[in-house]
Amino acid sequence: MSSSQRKDLGRALCIITGASRGFGRTVARELSRLVKPGSVLILTARSEENLRSLEVELAGSEAGKSGLLVQCVPADLAQMEGLQSVVSASRAAFSEQIDHVILVNNAASLGDVSRFTSSFTDMAEVDSYLSLNVTSCLCLTARLLQALPPRSGLCRSVINITSLCALQPFKSWALYCTGKAAREMMFRVLAAEEPDLRVLSYSPGPLDTEMQLVARSSTADPDLKKTFSDMFSAGQLLTCEASCAKLMKLLLEDSFTSGAHIDVFDL
Amino acid sequence: MSDINSTNPRTLGRGICIITGASKGFGQALAYQVSRSLEPRSVLLLVARSGPLLQEMKEELQSATEEQQLVVHCVAVDLRTKEGVDETVRVARQEAVDEIEHVLLINNAASLGDIAKFETFTNPDEVNSYLSLNVSSPLALTAGILQLCPCRPGLRWSVVNLSSMFALQALPSWVLYCTAKAARNMMFSVLAKEQQHVKVLSYSLGPMDPDMQKEILRLTNVNHNPMPCHESAAKLMKLLLDNNFSSGAHLDFFDV
Repeated sequence: MSSSQRKDLGRALCIITGASRGFGRTVARELSRLVKPGSVLILTARSEENLRSLEVELAGSEAGKSGLLVQCVPADLAQMEGLQSVVSASRAAFSEQIDHVILVNNAASLGDVSRFTSSFTDMAEVDSYLSLNVTSCLCLTARLLQALPPRSGLCRSVINITSLCALQPFKSWALYCTGKAAREMMFRVLAAEEPDLRVLSYSPGPLDTEMQLVARSSTADPDLKKTFSDMFSAGQLLTCEASCAKLMKLLLEDSFTSGAHIDVFDL
Repeated sequence: MSDINSTNPRTLGRGICIITGASKGFGQALAYQVSRSLEPRSVLLLVARSGPLLQEMKEELQSATEEQQLVVHCVAVDLRTKEGVDETVRVARQEAVDEIEHVLLINNAASLGDIAKFETFTNPDEVNSYLSLNVSSPLALTAGILQLCPCRPGLRWSVVNLSSMFALQALPSWVLYCTAKAARNMMFSVLAKEQQHVKVLSYSLGPMDPDMQKEILRLTNVNHNPMPCHESAAKLMKLLLDNNFSSGAHLDFFDV
């Protein structure tokens, strides 16, 4: 079965949120290897220090030496100024030569998994969580779609880094499940509205990251906590690289149904 | 007035029932029906922004249920605020006496939000405000109510999430509404999984609410042919009285 899989992702403008560590950092690295010279990576996260070290690494890489531009935009996406700075940088980096815009909505937080649903009596805490995990994602995507409008020959891909938690409830994970379910629906609506956009909700699986460390040490539900610890002890956590490779394959093949939820273990 | 026990052996017990968005539409219709199924000396909290509308309802309800000695509280608050949620919980706590057999919370208050293309939602204040009323508020209120009194045998807990088919199905231009309903559905599913003694129901009431329908018509020119609220409210009542639903289920008016 021959595939018309492309060998690269074109001359792309990539915007990656939560790029400073974990899965986002790996996505930045992997994308840098798959985009053509003249491409631009906009890396955003709150931690300037971590972004700079990634910028240096990428600048020194083969891609960096062949004409990949990397720009760091330290920003808090839950703040208006943060959103504006990422959009401005993206708009400035965009040019007629760019044939692919790739937005990777990866930035997220776990929320307090050490407590159960009936403990969330503080609206401000929930508001704050939704602000980062849902609102900032919606507004950043909306602003970028407006700033980088459709054009003949331009492909626009929007990726939502999701989780099994978007589809199934997990005890003591109310905020995370709620935020992921919200995002999933959000992107399904976007996919339904804009048939020309390539929208993908990618679930990377249980990754060996700091987020996982918090999950296995703080989860209030004892069964769930044990599941995470056991996965870790048995070496069953995926490396970010292994999971990211699957995401890159999906993007290169470009045959996914827009708006679909695809899990690493589906491939 | 006929004896509730002889005409309808199933009741909601001697309960404390909290209904948000109770001043009009579905919430109002449900309040009237719930009042008829509560046993003597039950308490009904009607929560909405409009004090005058609630007061009118209270007078009607109390005269219709005189023998029942139904206690009706009007809680005129804005549930977008911490103060509004806290006040509702405070009033409920005052009434949560030892003899209460059932705590029933109906999370009905909601807003439509702007019906517009995804791309237009560039203002985080607008989106945050919407999510606050439609997601954070019901979570904080539910958490507060669940802490009203300790679990004990003979005390029944029911939490209802007023939902929509658009919690499950994406509808172009309805990103705010769909997102919030999907969020709520998940939130209440997690609650159901965690708490075995609380029965959680997400009830999708169909194109019912007349005020919302007017708003939808105005914004989209689409008429969804609403049915009277009392029909949908009656179906929800049946679900609550039968009490056979699986906790965490998402049931639609058209399925029941």
